[in-house]
Amino acid sequence: MKKIVYLMLSLILAAGLLVAGCGSSTAPSNQAAGGEAPEIKAIKDRGVLKVGVKVDVPKFGFKDPQTGKVDGMEIDLARKLAKKILGDENKIDVQGVTAKTRGPLLDNGEIDLVIATFTITEERKQSYNFSDPYFSDGVALMVKKNSGVQSLKDLNGKKIGVAQSATSKKALIDEAEKQGLKIQFLEFGTYPEIKTALDSGRIDCFSVDAAILFGYLDDSTTILPDRYSPQLYGIASKKSNTGLAKLANDTVGEMKASGELDQLIQKWGLK
Amino acid sequence: MPGPFAGFKWLAVFRDWSVFAEGFVMTIALSVLALALALLLGVLFGVLGTAQWKPFRWLNRVYVEFIQNTPLVIQVFFLYHGLPHLGIMLPVFSVGMLGVGIYHGAYIAEVVRAGIQAIPRGQHEAAYSQGFSYWESMRYIILPQAKRMAYPPLTNQAVSLIKNTSVMAMVAGGDLMYHADSWASSNLYYGPAYVVTGLLYIAICFPLATYARRLERKLEVSL
Repeated sequence: MKKIVYLMLSLILAAGLLVAGCGSSTAPSNQAAGGEAPEIKAIKDRGVLKVGVKVDVPKFGFKDPQTGKVDGMEIDLARKLAKKILGDENKIDVQGVTAKTRGPLLDNGEIDLVIATFTITEERKQSYNFSDPYFSDGVALMVKKNSGVQSLKDLNGKKIGVAQSATSKKALIDEAEKQGLKIQFLEFGTYPEIKTALDSGRIDCFSVDAAILFGYLDDSTTILPDRYSPQLYGIASKKSNTGLAKLANDTVGEMKASGELDQLIQKWGLK
Repeated sequence: MPGPFAGFKWLAVFRDWSVFAEGFVMTIALSVLALALALLLGVLFGVLGTAQWKPFRWLNRVYVEFIQNTPLVIQVFFLYHGLPHLGIMLPVFSVGMLGVGIYHGAYIAEVVRAGIQAIPRGQHEAAYSQGFSYWESMRYIILPQAKRMAYPPLTNQAVSLIKNTSVMAMVAGGDLMYHADSWASSNLYYGPAYVVTGLLYIAICFPLATYARRLERKLEVSL
């Protein structure tokens, strides 16, 4: 019995140390040493900007199975940032992330920025820096054609599959409450798993941001016209990397002002 | 104070303790039922594995080899995503119980078979000479002795079974791991969430493992 108590105590102690360790390492990093934040200097020294992007969302970040190249609107954004920091838009190193991995990868410094249909929320802002939104998208519903479901109302008492770490669940819960509906939510790790669950009838509806959903449309499924609670996508960076966050935010601002962002959205057929 | 282990993230875990408690209860319920199924299957197939009649032994081999040589994740995916295409829609709790129970049943079958085979043949023969039938000698003579041999490895199986119920997180099973994943990924306070989840698993598994070690020590003395 004594042993167990010791073990528990040492675990709690270890956890406490982690808290303290992370606390002390977050000294303000945007000191005006030479007018350049250390994390931006680190990127310049490395000579490449490491960006976490989606590889399974057509038009945003999608890895072409034939060529193996990752392309999309968010990759173009990353290129733009690389050009600004390193003077060469090809100096990017893209890494595929999922809704679940993008947070930890930022924290451990594996990637500098996440540009991966990352919805800005108040809660998330406490953990990461977000730029101003570069795109706004609504949550949509995908159902089987033969299910006869026309709207959220028809899903009363049914199951909706959503992705872990996605904000679609909250958006739909709010909407369902407004309409007085009772809906059960099941969360899965990746989008293909949700699609598999829809195919096997485990869930009656697959719901995520509309742009992502279109990548999974096939002959047997249809996307309902309704859109719920606009999701604003921002460029995320580690909380302590405030210099980089400012740079990303400025870039988004400039691109918006110059109309470049709209061009990009049009180029990828997102509106 | 940012960082994955920031203080306010710990507070959030404790504020939302009911989320973790719900998963914890689910994991325990699932473990108990899956263990019951695994023991049932394990003893049945373990005994079949020592049977005189060859087809029985084949049956044991097919079950054990098939289950031991495919990953648990695939078996659970088959039950969850595969069976509905054949018109069988098992509730997710049954998927967990069957998946984990059948998987560990195969391992327990090997433990039981080894336990039975460790009992000298003379015991069987002595039982026959006293007029016991095959199943009677199993029930009253062999299994009680084999049980002692099989106990420590069985307890270890129970520990891995509990940990393996976390596979249900992949099919929205509502267990502890699923709730931890779901909670941690919606607000991205993953640091404390997984530490607490780990501690909860330790809270069930560690006492069991300690119990197994004690049993093992006792066995050494008695042999």
